[in-house]
Amino acid sequence: MNVIPLALYAGALVAYIWHFTKRQPTIGRTATTLLMLAALAHTFLIGMETMQAGHIPVTNASSAISTFVWLLVLSYLYTEMTTEERAMGAFILPLVVALQTIPALHPGVEDRADVLQGPLFGIHVSSLLFAYASFALACVIGITYVLLFTEIKAKHLGFFYARLPSLQVLDTMNQRAIAVGWLFLTIGLIVGVVWALQAPGYDPRVQAMSLEDPKIFVAFVCWGVYSFEAFAARRIGWGGRRAAYLSAVGFAIVLLNFVPISYFLTRSHNF
Amino acid sequence: MPLLLVGVSHRTAPVELRERLDFQARGLEQALHRLSERNLTQEAVVLSTCNRAEIYAVHEGDPDTARQHIVDFISRFHEVDRALLAPHVYSAGDLEVARHLFRVSAGLDSLVVGEPQILGQVKDAHTTATSAHTSGPVLNRLFHASFAAGKRVRTETALGSGAVSISFAAVALSRKIFGELKGRSVLVIGAGEMGKLTALHMKSQGVQQVTIVSRTLSHAARTAEAIGGASAAPWEELDTVLGAADIVITATGAASPILTKAHIETVMRPRRHRPLFIIDIALPRDVEAAAGELEQVFLYNIDDLQATVRENLARRTGEVQHAETIVGEEVERFGAWLRSRGAIPTVVALRQHFENVRRSELNRLAANLPPDTRQRVDDISRLLIEKLLLSPTEQLKTAADAETVALFSDALTRLFGLSASSSDDTGTTTVDRDNVRRRVEPFVRRNTKG
Repeated sequence: MNVIPLALYAGALVAYIWHFTKRQPTIGRTATTLLMLAALAHTFLIGMETMQAGHIPVTNASSAISTFVWLLVLSYLYTEMTTEERAMGAFILPLVVALQTIPALHPGVEDRADVLQGPLFGIHVSSLLFAYASFALACVIGITYVLLFTEIKAKHLGFFYARLPSLQVLDTMNQRAIAVGWLFLTIGLIVGVVWALQAPGYDPRVQAMSLEDPKIFVAFVCWGVYSFEAFAARRIGWGGRRAAYLSAVGFAIVLLNFVPISYFLTRSHNF
Repeated sequence: MPLLLVGVSHRTAPVELRERLDFQARGLEQALHRLSERNLTQEAVVLSTCNRAEIYAVHEGDPDTARQHIVDFISRFHEVDRALLAPHVYSAGDLEVARHLFRVSAGLDSLVVGEPQILGQVKDAHTTATSAHTSGPVLNRLFHASFAAGKRVRTETALGSGAVSISFAAVALSRKIFGELKGRSVLVIGAGEMGKLTALHMKSQGVQQVTIVSRTLSHAARTAEAIGGASAAPWEELDTVLGAADIVITATGAASPILTKAHIETVMRPRRHRPLFIIDIALPRDVEAAAGELEQVFLYNIDDLQATVRENLARRTGEVQHAETIVGEEVERFGAWLRSRGAIPTVVALRQHFENVRRSELNRLAANLPPDTRQRVDDISRLLIEKLLLSPTEQLKTAADAETVALFSDALTRLFGLSASSSDDTGTTTVDRDNVRRRVEPFVRRNTKG
């Protein structure tokens, strides 16, 4: 089922890249329409899975990735609508397509263990997924910032100079995405800790919940990195390009935690 | 009714002559009225900018004579000797007029290719002619088609993209770094003319705070006053104002750099490394080149800006071919419309012929019918004619070329014996032609919508 949104995302990816190079308004509108259709199909899919399982499909890695992609696309569409800036789509959609390939090829079975019941668990997972979606946006914005920065610095005003918004706009968008992401990351982690404290102790996964578990450890590393970026970096002169690099590093850690660690390493979050 | 263009532009005439041919100065509306009063033209639009003076006209009869008349008119109107004027005048007929105007609207014929103002000037020229009642159906159509062509070229090609002057390049770069320039502050070091001009340009683009620093405070104060709304600061406060500025323009006559890398580095720290854009337009340079290596410092000297201007010009040139293709398509479309007008006299004559037959038969047969029956016969016969004529008129309107139109017209004229009425242009009086136009225009408009 995840194949249908994937195909539409792939179509939108082609259209966004085409629009980015050709800069024709009609192609741009086509790209947005395709992405909206994809988001609609994805919403429908997630809605069906929610009805089937009785909760948002997040209890195994594949469906969590699918939900994450869905949130990322919705956040991106919101950004596009509010800023009327389509250039970023060409950078976001490769990530969307790459990640959506995982649930499309390897659909997870949504069965919820008793231990995963309750509103706290839902808040924990959806906050974190939303935080990660924000960080993904921040990372992509950071990459475009560096591309534009390099062109201006090298005095070669070319491809990206003609297509991207100003450095100031990119920097502000990056800061906002980091701030929103940090807030939800913090909420997600706190709720996660509270949930683990009250969870029944017979489950082996709950027993494995400590800072020594790679997934939990890396999540706190992430929190450290993003806290630094959100509160300290600019005060010591790490604005602009350095903040952009930091967003990329932060999201690389998020991805590491999200895909390989979830599938292979963690014992506490192996759903 | 052939189209004609007569004019001079920066391509054919020196600026001394163009100045003397400025219609704006001598009264555009007066020129339009004189053009129509003397029966020189049926329709006229005058396009007069600093780079061109052109008359677009719809005339009757021989194009060469009409051309001579218009050249005479220009010469008399501007009191310029005809012999002086004639070698610089160019002219064009029919679809070449359309091609020329579309290229002008698209900015292809401009001094700086792709410059944006010309489209507005073409629109103004048409508006003036419309309010002076000298533009008619053909020129209206021509000018609206030229607006469409100009707009298409602007949206579908990069012909108008990129700054092509130093000060615009500086503003465009500032925008790319800072976004909106509103609320940004500019520091000008040096009280000379170049710095003042760049600062004025920045101010016109929304910069609110401009500070001038010069070795002599009174010079700085004078320049600040000349800019208006700017402030002057003494040389000793350079570091303080440097810390507050976003954009720095250096334009002093100093022989050695006044801002070194080390100096700027000390300023950057209290700024918390907010971006600093330095435009060094002085020769010799005022800022040490190594300062550009500092993170968050963007240093451009006059050569760098010139290089971006050259790149932009080259990019525009690369888009010319694409723009010409668009112009070609629009000319084609206008040509189709113009050809469809060639069929109008035949269409009108044909309809008139049918109507005459209908009326005479109606009068003969229905004279002694009761009024309501007569009314019904009248309606039905009218409807019948409409339906019968639908296909032939469509065929005439959409004929692919002038030969086909002529062939069809000829056939219809012979088959229905129309020649006596009005397919022959010379046989009609002015009043007749007006009637023809009035009757036929709605039908043409309906055609173009569908």
